[in-house]
Amino acid sequence: MAVLEYSGSKKAGVRREGLPLADVVRQIDWILLLAVGGVVATGLWAIEGITRHDVAFNAHYYLYRQAVYAGAGAVGLIVAALVDPDLYRRSWRWIFGGTIAAIVLVYLQGQAVRGSKRWVDLGFFKLQPSEFGKLLFVVALAGFIAERGRRVQEANTLLTTIGLAAIPIGLVFLQPDIGTALVYMAALVAVLFVAGTRWTHLALSGAVTLVGIVGILWLLPAVGVHVLKPYQQDRLTGFTHPTSDPAGSTYNINQSIVAVAAGQFHGRGPEGSTQTNLNFLPEHATDFVFASYSEQRGFVGGSLLLGLYLLIVWRGLRIVTVARDLFSAVVAGGIVFALLFQIFVNVGMTMGIAPITGIPLPFVSVGGSSMIANLCAMGVLLAIHARGRGARVSRRR
Amino acid sequence: MRPQLVNRRIRLLLLTLLLAFAALLARAAWIQGVRASSLSQLATSQQHQTVTIPAGRGTIFDRMGVQLALGEQATTVYADPRQIRQPRRVAAVAARILGVDATSLYPRLADRTHGFVYVQRKADPTKASALAKRRLPGLGFYAEERRSYPQHTVAAQVLGFAGVDNHGLDGLELQLDKQLSGRPGRQTIVKDPAGRAIDVVDQVAERQGRDVFLTLDHTIQANAEQVLRSTIAKWHAKAATAIVLDPRTGGVLAMAVQPGYDANGFGRVGADKQKNRAVTDVYEPGSVFKVVTVAGALSEGLVTPQTRFTLPYSLRVADRIVHDAELRGTETMTVAQILERSSNIGAITLAQMLGKDRLLKWIHRFGFGSPTGIDFPGESAGLLPGYWSGSTIGNVPIGQGISVTAVQLASVYAAIANGGVWLQPHLVDHVQGLRPPKRVWRRIVSAAVDRELMAMLRGVVSDAGGTGSAAEIPGYVVAGKTGTAQMPDPRGGYASGKYVASFVGIVPANRPRLVIMVQVEEPHLAIFGGVVAAPAFQQIASSALQYLEIPPDAATPVR
Repeated sequence: MAVLEYSGSKKAGVRREGLPLADVVRQIDWILLLAVGGVVATGLWAIEGITRHDVAFNAHYYLYRQAVYAGAGAVGLIVAALVDPDLYRRSWRWIFGGTIAAIVLVYLQGQAVRGSKRWVDLGFFKLQPSEFGKLLFVVALAGFIAERGRRVQEANTLLTTIGLAAIPIGLVFLQPDIGTALVYMAALVAVLFVAGTRWTHLALSGAVTLVGIVGILWLLPAVGVHVLKPYQQDRLTGFTHPTSDPAGSTYNINQSIVAVAAGQFHGRGPEGSTQTNLNFLPEHATDFVFASYSEQRGFVGGSLLLGLYLLIVWRGLRIVTVARDLFSAVVAGGIVFALLFQIFVNVGMTMGIAPITGIPLPFVSVGGSSMIANLCAMGVLLAIHARGRGARVSRRR
Repeated sequence: MRPQLVNRRIRLLLLTLLLAFAALLARAAWIQGVRASSLSQLATSQQHQTVTIPAGRGTIFDRMGVQLALGEQATTVYADPRQIRQPRRVAAVAARILGVDATSLYPRLADRTHGFVYVQRKADPTKASALAKRRLPGLGFYAEERRSYPQHTVAAQVLGFAGVDNHGLDGLELQLDKQLSGRPGRQTIVKDPAGRAIDVVDQVAERQGRDVFLTLDHTIQANAEQVLRSTIAKWHAKAATAIVLDPRTGGVLAMAVQPGYDANGFGRVGADKQKNRAVTDVYEPGSVFKVVTVAGALSEGLVTPQTRFTLPYSLRVADRIVHDAELRGTETMTVAQILERSSNIGAITLAQMLGKDRLLKWIHRFGFGSPTGIDFPGESAGLLPGYWSGSTIGNVPIGQGISVTAVQLASVYAAIANGGVWLQPHLVDHVQGLRPPKRVWRRIVSAAVDRELMAMLRGVVSDAGGTGSAAEIPGYVVAGKTGTAQMPDPRGGYASGKYVASFVGIVPANRPRLVIMVQVEEPHLAIFGGVVAAPAFQQIASSALQYLEIPPDAATPVR
């Protein structure tokens, strides 16, 4: 049986010293940083066109807000890049507890928006803890797994990991925010996968999950037990037959597909995009931002954005391989796969190949928490890269 | 070896990543490339809507500017049965407020297979707004124009009617449909998701229909109809027709057909009552036709008004024996007296002098056998004998075996009143914004012959032996001719006891202003034109003369 071994894993928990600032800058993954900068810039460009007619007399309202968030996120990215990820590993219990506490706090006093409690009002900013939770969740699980060390392949470790993960997943599910819960689950899969869980264990867990999904979506409703609310059910399954209720439950998906199609190759531009400007497409700056973006910028713009995402995720996967220890590798894997999952589900949803969930498009959808949390996650990736194998090689040189 | 294992897992993740992005790009290419045009059309069609802006239909005015037909605001009430929650209640409420039949409305409202049914088209706007106030879900309202005939029965057969879609279906509404209709406009609007119009991207302005001004005078028309109604009642007649012409212009001042109907309810009466029989129906004119024979004989120089003929009571023509209307011995009459006393034998004698060819020539010259070209749809040309037998010369000169329309006869007498110049009769004076049509005219008799004819026709009314003395109007000189014709039996020959009594009069005879033709079908108690139709002429003419303030022309006015 092969135990996954990462460079530096033997010294896991031993290393103390961080790298000096100059070294971090020298060891930075420029391609990843440029790709992230490119996506954020493309996102701001997209938001500029999409929200131009959303606020009367203030065409740049959302653009400026989003630019401020991007700025805050950039600060977060720099800080995260400088912090030694080992700090997270050592304090994973605090991180885990804090994440759960924040989500519970939201559940207790948060503001309900469209029937869902996701935000905490900080006065100047409406914080969405579950967005930051994506990162913290991965970090905490990775910390736990790193602590188990060589016993990661044992069923006991697997079950405990799943058990730990189930707490935040369940809480987010109850907000209710199925989309984020699904992102957590995807991150969990990536964490287990990168940590080196046995294939048999993975297959078994996958089978159980599949049975659970089929049961919740089709079997239990058939016998009269509704775990999901009807609208949730419709959203999750509606994309398979988008024309069934074009004025009702599949209105959004239909309008979204029409918007994407209307963009054709070159896009209709911000002024000609009637689906967006006339508000036929709801949530065109948040969940369905890709549809609006495609309407305005066409296949060309969509490919550009997807290309930049591909670059980020590819560099992210590369960082998994150069990570200095198991913890860093698992964190990187979880972050990258969660990002990929969000991109795929969000973009797929706007084109009718993924279920409708309230997952924002990373770096593009209007929203401060998502923007800052994702940029922080990129910072963590950069930190892992800077302290990874490549960095050590260069230090020796 | 171990890093290879790591790489194997990472490679698997990389594969997942590539597959995911490939799927997204492929889907984008499919939607934005292959399906783009059809789906973009969906975007345009849900945002753009082209609405037709109906053009208002022109108003029909009489010569005094009184509205005879106009467009009125109405509200059409419709329903979307799929949105109606309580069809039974909605049907009951709609029935109570609009006055429609609830039992026939309910099943249509309850039928959810349709998304649109009419509750009532062109309903009273006040009733419709009362219903709208109830805010019943599923009911809808839109404004429409409803054709209205404020004079109700007056000139109903002449005006005809426009259908529910505002297209002329009969009468002048049909004849003038093109001018009255205008051209509908078109507007392409951009809608928001709630269906509200937020922008207009393309529009073609509507052109309102043109107004039409008739030569008809609703006062004379209404009076003529009233006179005909009382005449029908008095003589237990089946029907009656009257035409009042201005001989100076050919304009029709009145064209009355009774019994009539209310044009606002054209759907509730049979087609026979909707026909303008003065133009569309033919009848055998009888003695009023003799003027053609006399005019022909005079014009050909065969006789003068004073030429005397010795005429027996009866005459054998081929296989038939013809006799005069009243029993008398053999008498000597002048041509003038033949017309005054309406002698059949005299007219046939003159016709025999003319012969078949010259008689036919004069019949054609007077316009019989071809339509007058009056601006009214469905005009009949009349019927000339298709086969000229030996006895035909004994029929046609006295107005038998030949069919004419009332308007043909009236126009011929108007020509005589107009110094022998025939003017095409017409109902439309002008259409707003259009040049008045060129009037057709032609001389049918010389001025000299015309003077002789007018003198003879004056004698019909004024002379002791004349048949039309009942047409006399104090203060005015009246010229005219009576007629009493048998009605053809559809089975052949003539129907016993069925007559058409008619009178055509010209007044004031010295300076003619009015030519009035009255024709009464199947009168009972009396049958003669001089008895049945002449008094109706007298009544119509008296009020028209007074109304038009036409000065008396009699040498010694009667006070």
